Amino acid sequence: MAYPSMGEAHRRITDYLNNFSDAVSDQDVASLAQLFSFSSNSPSLLSLADALNFFQDANRLIKQSDKFSQFGEILAPLFRLLQSYRLGNLVDAYHAFEKFANAFIQEFRNWESSWALQALYVIAYEIRVLAERADRELASNGKSPEKLKGAGSFLMKVFGVLAGKGPKRVGALYVTCQLFKIYFKLGTVHLCRSVIRSIETARIFDFEEFPRRDKVTYMYYTGRLEVFNENFPAADHKLSYALTHCNPLREANIRMILKYLIPVKLSLGILPNAWLLEKYNLLEYSNVVQALKRGDLRLLRHALQEHEDRFLRSGVYLVLEKLELQVYQRLVKKIYIIQKQKDPSKAHQLKLEVIVKALKWLEMDMDLDEVECIMTILIYKNLVKGYFAHKSKVVVLSKQDPFPKLNGKPVNS
Amino acid sequence: MMNQATNTQTLASLDPNSVESRYVVNASQGQTSSYVPSTAGSEAASWNMYRVDNHSVENGSFSNSTYHHVQQTEPSTRTVQDGSNAASLATSSSLGTTNAQPDYSGYNSYSNSTDPYSYGSTGYQGYYNGYQQQPNPSYSQPVGAYQNTGAPYQPLSSFPNTGSYAGPASYSSTYYNPGDYQTAGGYPSSGYSHQTTTWNEGNYSNYTTHQYSNYTPDTTGAYASGNAATNSLHYQQHYKQWSDYYNPTEVSCAPGTENLSIASKSTQVSQVPGVSGGYATSNSQAPPSFTPSWRPEPSSSQTPSLQPGATVTGGYDSYWKHGASSFQNQHPTPVQQHFQKALDSKPSYDNFQEQQKTACPQGLNLQYPVAQQSSQSYQPPLQTVQSVDTRRVSKVQIQTNPRIASNLPLGLPKMDKDGSNNNTTAKPAYISVSLTKPIEKVLPNDAADSVLKVGMFPKSLKNYVERALGQCEDEKQMAACQAVMKEIITKATNDGTLHTRDWDAEPLFPIPNADMVDKNSNLQNPIPVSAIPKYKSPTKRSKSRWEPLPEEKLLDKLDPVNSYAAKYSSWVHVNEKDRKPAGASSEGKTDIMNSIRFPLMEQKSASKTVQRPVKRQRLADGNAADNGDASSDSDKEQNLTAYYSGAIALANTPEERKRRENRSKRFEKVQGNRAQINHFKAKNAGSGNLYARRASAMVLSKNFEDGGSRAVEDIDWDALTVKGTCQEIEKRYLRLTSAPDPSTVRPEEVLEKALLTVQNSQKNYLYKCDQLKSIRQDLTVQRIRNQLTVKVYETHARLSLEVGDLPEYNQCQSQLKILYGEGIEGCHMEFSAYHLLCVIMHSNNNRDLLSSMSRLSDEAKKDKAVQHALAVRAAVTSGNYVMFFRLYKMAPNLNTCLMDLYVEKMRYKAVGCMSRSYRPQVPVSYIAQVLGFGSGMPTNEGSDEKDSDGLEECVDWLKAHGACLVADSNGEMQLDAKASSSSLYMPEPEDAVAHGDASLAVNDFLTRTSS
Repeated sequence: MAYPSMGEAHRRITDYLNNFSDAVSDQDVASLAQLFSFSSNSPSLLSLADALNFFQDANRLIKQSDKFSQFGEILAPLFRLLQSYRLGNLVDAYHAFEKFANAFIQEFRNWESSWALQALYVIAYEIRVLAERADRELASNGKSPEKLKGAGSFLMKVFGVLAGKGPKRVGALYVTCQLFKIYFKLGTVHLCRSVIRSIETARIFDFEEFPRRDKVTYMYYTGRLEVFNENFPAADHKLSYALTHCNPLREANIRMILKYLIPVKLSLGILPNAWLLEKYNLLEYSNVVQALKRGDLRLLRHALQEHEDRFLRSGVYLVLEKLELQVYQRLVKKIYIIQKQKDPSKAHQLKLEVIVKALKWLEMDMDLDEVECIMTILIYKNLVKGYFAHKSKVVVLSKQDPFPKLNGKPVNS
Repeated sequence: MMNQATNTQTLASLDPNSVESRYVVNASQGQTSSYVPSTAGSEAASWNMYRVDNHSVENGSFSNSTYHHVQQTEPSTRTVQDGSNAASLATSSSLGTTNAQPDYSGYNSYSNSTDPYSYGSTGYQGYYNGYQQQPNPSYSQPVGAYQNTGAPYQPLSSFPNTGSYAGPASYSSTYYNPGDYQTAGGYPSSGYSHQTTTWNEGNYSNYTTHQYSNYTPDTTGAYASGNAATNSLHYQQHYKQWSDYYNPTEVSCAPGTENLSIASKSTQVSQVPGVSGGYATSNSQAPPSFTPSWRPEPSSSQTPSLQPGATVTGGYDSYWKHGASSFQNQHPTPVQQHFQKALDSKPSYDNFQEQQKTACPQGLNLQYPVAQQSSQSYQPPLQTVQSVDTRRVSKVQIQTNPRIASNLPLGLPKMDKDGSNNNTTAKPAYISVSLTKPIEKVLPNDAADSVLKVGMFPKSLKNYVERALGQCEDEKQMAACQAVMKEIITKATNDGTLHTRDWDAEPLFPIPNADMVDKNSNLQNPIPVSAIPKYKSPTKRSKSRWEPLPEEKLLDKLDPVNSYAAKYSSWVHVNEKDRKPAGASSEGKTDIMNSIRFPLMEQKSASKTVQRPVKRQRLADGNAADNGDASSDSDKEQNLTAYYSGAIALANTPEERKRRENRSKRFEKVQGNRAQINHFKAKNAGSGNLYARRASAMVLSKNFEDGGSRAVEDIDWDALTVKGTCQEIEKRYLRLTSAPDPSTVRPEEVLEKALLTVQNSQKNYLYKCDQLKSIRQDLTVQRIRNQLTVKVYETHARLSLEVGDLPEYNQCQSQLKILYGEGIEGCHMEFSAYHLLCVIMHSNNNRDLLSSMSRLSDEAKKDKAVQHALAVRAAVTSGNYVMFFRLYKMAPNLNTCLMDLYVEKMRYKAVGCMSRSYRPQVPVSYIAQVLGFGSGMPTNEGSDEKDSDGLEECVDWLKAHGACLVADSNGEMQLDAKASSSSLYMPEPEDAVAHGDASLAVNDFLTRTSS
């Protein structure tokens, strides 16, 4: 790109400075946010960056007038950020950005109203994205990536600024969501807890008053946390909330939610329609669902093995694995139904051998002891009503509702 | 002359074993021969011829016979070594490096024991091993290999010869060490301080001789390494060895001995005597034709010589210091010596390198080929005998020799000559005199240096010493004389009458009873026949080598400090030059020499002398463990001080630092190539580099404090990593509250031994844990992160698992994770299985479990242990107790131990489940079977018995957990499921403690672990 002339560079820089001070004085958050969102690569910012790189002494322009110099703390690092970002030096850019953001926060704290929230959102978003990219750069240089962590602690600071009483609290959830993203990415999920507590225990502010998009994001992440904790009802609640409030046009978001909601629902005994899986391209679950329907233990295990990596990464592997008991239940129920068709009077007595044989047909090679153990577990977990007679090796089923449905309740554990 | 003396001595004293004595003689002869040529100054050609002749004569009669005898002795020595040594022996044959260690271990074990004999025997064994390894019984062969080198090779050959020479020296040194050690053990404090006790005296003399021997070895040491290299096929390797060698040698006798022994082994023991002969010739043959060959030697020796020289003096200094406080001032003088040496080394260095280049290629090829020539080495002895005699008589010859030996003068005529004038005058006395004289003189010099700083000993005193020694008829007497004279001089120095007294008029003391000395010698050389020869040979040699030192000292005094810097710089230049032209191998060598050697000195000096003078005392006192090293330690310190100033000069320039770092880097690369062959050496070398960096950093920091000219940022704090010098194998763990002290930190080789000791120890877990922690600490402090580190952590992790010490295990596990992450090999799979099990059963954190599962590689998933762990996980998450206890029974590795910790929980859950699911009853026998009761250790005994055991245990367990048991009509115990379902409880653990962790209760822990 051809370098602008000196005058041109000068003009662009002063334009930017003027825009900034105008936006602040007019409390025009839209244009302010625009001035900050460098990652949008808007042409005006790009040309400004070129001008800055050409016109090395931008700081002089800042100091030139009081109008700008009062924001010198903000503007100087901002210029440096733009310069380094333009040059592709992301680590330096991150450093400059952190300085800039800190200075801005300082200023923001002093503003009574929350007019600049949008600009703050931009900053919270930009710092996360920039940190991720800087980390990538660091990692490729063989250094330890730590910028995202730094961004996390910066956002905690921002959260502290927002979380108190007052009009600025509305912005807290957005920052929280950015924090969640960082923590999930870093694998330091335990850090979420303090933020969550602060959001959920504050009675002063109704959760519903937060912006909807933040609520959905928040519910999605907290729902995921509940999945990790295997607290399925809570996970169901949160993820369902996210699903219902999510913008139906955002299919990617819906898919992300479903990715966790489906296993949760499965563990609660609720199976999805096949078309849902197809629509959102979640076919990795289809075999699992099939296995649950048929009581096909082999199919379940194959499905788990096939998508092991994916399930492990998303963290639903253990959840899906626990579906095994439901599959057993289904299998036993099928045996029971067949027996009942043959001889209704003795249908409630299931011989262990029969079950072992059925499992053998599924190529599940288990001996009596093992199957007996599984039967006792099924009874213990209330997936099967009845008892096991050890002497005769028979599962004696209850006459009433021997296979209670979960109906949205989790398996006893 | 010295040789002769020794020979005679050996004969006399060692009467019992005539054979041995002979052997000794040979060795000594070889050495002497070397001297003879030097005096003669025969030309190169003549030299070769000469050798051959000697060889023929010698071989025929002497060498072979001796050799046989030696063999006979073998068995006995072996027995001594036995247990601990056996391993070492085996290893020694395989790798040079490994060899060193085993020997060392042997050494250590002996060191503990007060028996001088045992010690000697060990050394001998090592020696012996070398013999055994050689396929050919003939003594001559190995030697031949060395000497064989063609004309081009000659420089090298001279090298090898010296090397062989060194071999013996090392031998001797080892012997000496034992002696020292023993004495130290017996009289820890006295050993170092010069006390009036005859014993000490004896030690002292030994010590001096010992040092002397070291000195020689150093020069030879280089050679030896060369030899080793040739033998081992890899020239470069040799060098590494060499470097290794240097490190230890410099510091302490013990390490040196180790290395030496190694070298000798590799080269073949037999060489030693013969070689020495060759060596001597080379030195002596200063004449023009020979110069090239000659130079290399000196140069090679030079680098080493620097150290040795320093060490020797240092040793003396330390002695003196201990003995009399007045002497402590000596430090400055050693420094000076240092410098001079450095200067000297420089010229020689160049030569050396050049020669190396040429020599290296040939060296490789030549090594074994010529068996015939080997005989040459033997020749010297005959001559030597004669020459020795002559020497004694004529002081003049000797004088020349010393100079030559010192190398310095020749290489750097300008510098040395000036200074040497004084020396020459002084020297004759020492030289002419047998061993005792040199020693004594040295001592006085030191004392004088220290006290007066001007450093002139009254000439009259020297004369006096000469006279006194002149009385003596044999070595024993001389040793005795020495002792007496030492006393006298010390006394005089203390009194301050040293310079005022009229030494010329001083009456000579009566010749002390030689028996005293004998005693000493007996103590030291206990006697295994095999041991004796070695012992003696060193002494002889040491004398000859010794001579150069005094000169240096004198020079030092004369030279202003300024000169050092200049010299040093010159040295540096040399290095640079060397780098460029030299081939990889030579480079490696030089590097080693530069980086390792130097740094060592620096560091020590910096750390020990500067930082904690107090320590010295401790060291000097000499723990039994320190043994050989202890003595060397004190030496080191002295040397260090000496080097310190030099170090400063060196380190001052940032360029130099950079240079050195580059050098070390390069060195590392070279190492990398050969890394497979000798991990060990590589490590050492690496540590050497560390050393260097640290040393420079320390110096820098010191400078900063002193001059304030340097910015703090310039200090490479990484370089401050400690390099340990402690030779103790056992060490209690103590959490550091200050910067680690190198003298209490064990270097890697020692740590390796320590690990072995712990692994083989029968003591309880507490002890082992303590030891392992201290090993870990030493590793951490030295930033050693390699397979040894992994091994240590793995060992500790396993141990703690066996005992169920989870906190300790977790520490190890987290370290192991990092170490594996760095790509260091170990039992990765085994430990990822442990990790999985740990997460599954003890952290109850699904996220952790998921992440560690997702991190498992496909390869890991195929591993048996990991598969087992995954199966256990499945069993646990599904509550499948049957599966769990099946897996429990067939758990690989220590998976059982981890599962053990979960058994109680699992059983409780299972019984809860059973009592809920079964109606009306479950037989206890079934429960016992399914829940793994009584099957903890599968036995071959009848299954009935086992079952009943398990049954009982199960009944007890069920009762303890509140289950309702009833007997059915057959008298079989049944679990009343319905009644139990509401009555089950988890009993309070009897050993519950307020803070929740029973293992924290010390008493409980003690009782548990000591069982």
